[in-house]
Amino acid sequence: MKYFSLTFFAVFSLSAFSQSILLKGGMVHSGTGAGATLQDILISGNEIAKIGKNLTINGKTQVIELNGLPVTPGLISPMSNLGIVEINALDVTRDDESDILKAGFSIFNAFNPHSTGIPWNRSNGVTSAITSPGSSSFPMFGLASYFILDGSLEIKGLKDIAMFGRMGASYGSRAETLTILESLLELGQKASNTPVEEILEMRLADQLELQAQDILALNNVVNNGLPFVLETNRAVDILQAIALKKKYGLNLVLSSVEEAPMVIDQLRASGIPVIIDPMDNIPNSFDELGSSLLLGKVLDQAGIRVMFSTQRSHNYHLMRQGSGNAVAYGMSYESAIRGMTLTVAETFKLGNRGSIIEGKIADIVVWDADPLEPSSFPKFVFIEGKSQDLSSRSTRLTERYTNKDDKPSSYKH
Amino acid sequence: MKNILHLSALLLLIIGCSDMSTLPNLDLEDQKDYFASTYTPMDSEPTLFKSANIYDGLGGEFIGYDLLVADGKIIEVGQALSNSGVKVIDASDQWITPGIFDIHSHMGVYSAPGVSTSSDGNEATAPVTAEVWAEHSVWTQDPQFALALKGGVTSFHVLPGSANLFGGRGATFKNISQNTIQAMKFPDAPHSLKMACGENPKRVYGNRRQSPSTRMGNMAGYRSAWIDAMEYRDGMNERDADQRPTRDLAMDTLKGVLDGEILIQNHCYRAEEMAMMIEMSKEFDYKVTTFHHAVEAYKIADLLADEGICAAMWADWWGFKHEAYDMVPANIAIIDQARNGTGCAIVHSDDAVGIQHLNQEAAKAMAAGNRAGYSISKAHAMKWITSNPAKAAGVLEHTGSIEAGKDADIVLWTHNPFSVYARAQQVLIDGAVAYDMNDPKKQPVTDFDLGIINPKINRVQ
Repeated sequence: MKYFSLTFFAVFSLSAFSQSILLKGGMVHSGTGAGATLQDILISGNEIAKIGKNLTINGKTQVIELNGLPVTPGLISPMSNLGIVEINALDVTRDDESDILKAGFSIFNAFNPHSTGIPWNRSNGVTSAITSPGSSSFPMFGLASYFILDGSLEIKGLKDIAMFGRMGASYGSRAETLTILESLLELGQKASNTPVEEILEMRLADQLELQAQDILALNNVVNNGLPFVLETNRAVDILQAIALKKKYGLNLVLSSVEEAPMVIDQLRASGIPVIIDPMDNIPNSFDELGSSLLLGKVLDQAGIRVMFSTQRSHNYHLMRQGSGNAVAYGMSYESAIRGMTLTVAETFKLGNRGSIIEGKIADIVVWDADPLEPSSFPKFVFIEGKSQDLSSRSTRLTERYTNKDDKPSSYKH
Repeated sequence: MKNILHLSALLLLIIGCSDMSTLPNLDLEDQKDYFASTYTPMDSEPTLFKSANIYDGLGGEFIGYDLLVADGKIIEVGQALSNSGVKVIDASDQWITPGIFDIHSHMGVYSAPGVSTSSDGNEATAPVTAEVWAEHSVWTQDPQFALALKGGVTSFHVLPGSANLFGGRGATFKNISQNTIQAMKFPDAPHSLKMACGENPKRVYGNRRQSPSTRMGNMAGYRSAWIDAMEYRDGMNERDADQRPTRDLAMDTLKGVLDGEILIQNHCYRAEEMAMMIEMSKEFDYKVTTFHHAVEAYKIADLLADEGICAAMWADWWGFKHEAYDMVPANIAIIDQARNGTGCAIVHSDDAVGIQHLNQEAAKAMAAGNRAGYSISKAHAMKWITSNPAKAAGVLEHTGSIEAGKDADIVLWTHNPFSVYARAQQVLIDGAVAYDMNDPKKQPVTDFDLGIINPKINRVQ
């Protein structure tokens, strides 16, 4: 009850002045990896207009006193199914798989800005997300897109920004997976100077039942530097992936990488950024025998850029808890913040997002306490300079069931 | 000697000797000696933790107190306790809590690695499999036990899965890897019976074109089994042994519930289904101890408090199926606060990662509750992962709180356990150091972990 009314008040009072807002005296984590400093942030329109101490403002600016509360860039999930999966166990609510397309499967047009996961994650500080296709038996699942989570039907984001795939313990031999992957990359290479129709007639393309969209996507991976996020865990598989990057000049990102500490020097030298679930220390398969809570620390200390996935769907904000655990086990605090913000924006070329720097887009979260503590919560969330409503189905249900009025719950609204 | 007698009595029963009535009364009491716990604590030394901050697991908070443990038991919490003749650990600025208790684990029955040959948690061959016991599936070398121990978990309750209406018996364990299942079993802990509502049983059997394929089919399945069980119990209570039915493992389990010896642990998400399960427990005169997962428990919080039924919940997991759609992060707090704070809330894991961080899950649930308008202290929220789950497993007289005379199952934390930065520095089980973050010799390494990547290096480091 209290929760709801506070939220409502904040939105109401800020939206009237959305043109210019001064966040006064916040402990600002810029997302760049630099230590936090006490700063004022002036938001003008959709941008961060000015950052400094004791900024002066004109009379029309809405001032919010932060009294030292932590401020971070809006969190960016590098790997979600937001907007394309409502309920995992109900296929009719899922748009993350294709029966026909493979590498060229784009989920972009399936994105539902009204999906209940969006206000839930937004109210927990996630302001934008990369949404990727679900995994399949093919080594490339398809193309991920980037979405701004303001719930608008006028969908904002970037289409087909990365290829997602997997190599390792799953279907058949990993030797075959590697062979198919290489063959696909070879087809992609050919696409730079061969008409798509000709490639489709090649024996392998025919056998794999590839479509024109698949070839175009492969072309983007091999010839245009499209980020390719490859999930792999076993130490020797990570080395194979590094070799693939070198051979084909890929813009490779590795995910999961639970045995990375065993090949840390090679991984560092490769310059490959990684996406990890820092809480997953379970040897779930024989590929992950080296899994450990120290993964984040080892990668961070090697200077490798780290981003965070979450173990379970729907709660992408829990990368805060994951990165908090990584910090508890030795990762640097500011690297953890960077991993949820600027590192994602840089790796996937998301434009002027992911940092609190003058001139950048004002995706900003003000927290009630340390953002890496899972018990903390946003006080304000700004997307493109606009203060966001922090309600969700959960807050509505909470309000309904903590209301002690003596009438059926269906009349409490 | 006793076992031999039992065996001969059993054989007589099996061959149907007509002279049975003259034998000593064979009842199921005797069966309790089989598969019983052989757990014995590791060696320990009397230890005094000086100047610790203590959550006692019952809502109490003691700042700067000493804790004395000896002979595997908690001796005293006090100030300036005598340290003569005991090991002294300076615990200034650190926190001590009861050992964490997980009421919903599948460790050992869904071991890691999660390969098909280790999938031993669901006897999904018939909707009623009350005859199976989860402990008969447990793999003692599951590396997940040691990981949970590092998270402060000293005891856990292993349940069968939720594919079936009646999934089988659950059992409680002390978190010390041993080479036999009996040696890990919590002494004198009652069995539980796993029941499951909702989508899982109806999906598993509905997909095979057999009953149950609907929620009403689920209800019919449970009720039919209880009718059989009542008949079986009445038969077993016949004075004349000739009149007793042939022993039936599934019916033994259901009879144990009707006799109040086996506790019902009931997987159930939706409010109206939980209410229906309560109604059924009245129809057949047994008690539901705990609803598990209970994503909609907050909708019937007063009913659960009135009935004295606990709800074991996640802090925030949702959306993976339709019955887990109405998640509110204040669920745990709402259950806790129902009827003037008489509700019984538990944070459970059902997950090998989650079990390692139940303190963080409790922190999230507490914060969500306080955002919803409650005033729940950390000392109080500690109950959700200690005394309340111990109560739900029927072992609160032994563990789950820091009180004189209880098993010395305790955790010494580096920071306040409601912080993400807190790690278990030492974990004591019956007063013995089962885990010490600074002493590799006091960190368990299962056979699975030993030399598996490199003959010279153990997996867990």
